Amino acid sequence: MSEQKSRFGQIMNFFAERFPLQKFSFQHMVNEKVVPVHRMSWAYYMGGLTLLFFMIQLVTGICLLFYYQPTVSDAYASVEHITYFVKNGFLIRNLHAWASSCMILSLMVHMITTFAMKAFGRPREITWISGALLLLLTFGFGFTGYLLPWHQIAVNATKVVLQSIEEAGRYLPGALSTIPTYIKEIIQGEPSVGQATLSRFYALHVVILPLLLIGVVGIHLLMVQLHGMSQGVDQPAKKSEKFFPFFILKDFWLWGGVFLLVFVLALCVPFESFSAYPLFEAFDPMGSTPEGIKPEWYFYFVYYPLEILPFWVVMLGMTVAGIGIFFVPWIFKNTSRKVLSIIAWIATAYLVGITLFGHVIYEIVKGTNT
Amino acid sequence: MKAWITTFLLMSLCVSVAEAYPEFQRYSKKVSGRAVNCAMCHKNSDGPEGIKPGQIGSLNDEELKALGVARQAFNPGNHARNPVLNDFGNAILNQLGKKKLMVIRRYPERLAPALSKASDLDGDGIPDAEEFLDGTHPLNPLNGHPWKLFKHNLAKNRFHLVMIILATGLGMYGLQNMLLFLMVRARKEED
Repeated sequence: MSEQKSRFGQIMNFFAERFPLQKFSFQHMVNEKVVPVHRMSWAYYMGGLTLLFFMIQLVTGICLLFYYQPTVSDAYASVEHITYFVKNGFLIRNLHAWASSCMILSLMVHMITTFAMKAFGRPREITWISGALLLLLTFGFGFTGYLLPWHQIAVNATKVVLQSIEEAGRYLPGALSTIPTYIKEIIQGEPSVGQATLSRFYALHVVILPLLLIGVVGIHLLMVQLHGMSQGVDQPAKKSEKFFPFFILKDFWLWGGVFLLVFVLALCVPFESFSAYPLFEAFDPMGSTPEGIKPEWYFYFVYYPLEILPFWVVMLGMTVAGIGIFFVPWIFKNTSRKVLSIIAWIATAYLVGITLFGHVIYEIVKGTNT
Repeated sequence: MKAWITTFLLMSLCVSVAEAYPEFQRYSKKVSGRAVNCAMCHKNSDGPEGIKPGQIGSLNDEELKALGVARQAFNPGNHARNPVLNDFGNAILNQLGKKKLMVIRRYPERLAPALSKASDLDGDGIPDAEEFLDGTHPLNPLNGHPWKLFKHNLAKNRFHLVMIILATGLGMYGLQNMLLFLMVRARKEED
């Protein structure tokens, strides 16, 4: 009985430490909050930047909703209509495309720097877990949003991903082997990628994922404000600045500058200009599949290994990494910041290398020259 | 009966097939490194043959007549409108004429220099001939070499950019003053 009581007490203590209700006040969370100033201080701005990009996504996404038609017969035409006939439609759509990539980029930088600075340590475990959830949700946004324009690359890339999910069943034992097929059928909604798939992706992209994301962002921000900024470096910072108004003011100026940058990009460089035009023609189920079908750049870290290495190796690696990311605060509990920095650099080198040179590596490994 | 079938087969072989020019497509892909399809010059991305919209099998009598006229547009400056070609395909035909086109077909690298430098059918600031070399679509203003599009659009939207910079700067300045005011007021209240 006493053992049960002590376990209950431990659980209560765990949550009391992670949710310190006594700190739940404007005074503590805003007025008294300070931000350490050191060589890694720039990393404290990455989370705010991700939030800015999410807000751009929310606003531009709502604007696009007024015109987009989620049916296989009209989706492509409605996107064309937005682009060419709606006033500033091109700008809104291009802002949505650019900000989505920027959001994923800043989120990844935020996650890596948080890891390197050991900002996930006690009592910030829930902040880390909510951040990992946000990463998954953001990838979900990318995956579901990719299909909506219903052009060649959208439909064909979605087919490839769904086939990969089904293929995973071949490597699972017994009854487990049927689970990936079920998952694929649930996502797809019909025997092939079609109206049911588009409807499901649309619902996920515009209702379910945004609601989930807003909820998790709320928890994440609450945790950040309750626990304050982590120390970030081994030697305690000699200087610090007040969160309100000085840090937040710098944050807002950075938001202004970054917004301008993204705005200029959206106004001047169509996001689609980086890819071959046949990929953006209307999807034709009876027509030929254009070459160069690939997922968006932020999935290259899975895509190219899948092209190069045996399927089971990549799936095993990604599953371990996917689950492991939620247990980082406990796995690396006693690891020094120096070691964490080395791991972060290796992860960065891998992500940058495979994203920029994945195609070259693929050609070298396969011995082709396409 | 056999004689009829033989005659029919011989006649079928003699009928000229629709002439697409894959040499140019292959060349554009080779120099640009981008995937290119028939839609660069044709109305249908699967080329001229078939029954889909923009393909020969779908043409009505009037369009077939226009196709016949276009096939005889041997000299430059003709105003023929080939119904299976898009505006860029027809511009090539009008600027060069079919005779010259048949010759440079064997030397596809000569196509871009032979086209007018002033022609920019989609108005994206990149001449059609350059778009051919870049492997981008000459009729799609959103498809072009990213850096060239950036330079062109930056110059085109100068006014808008100045306005957005001013708006953002002023907005941030106002926000800064508001936050500083709130801080001062909070301190006064504390005192």
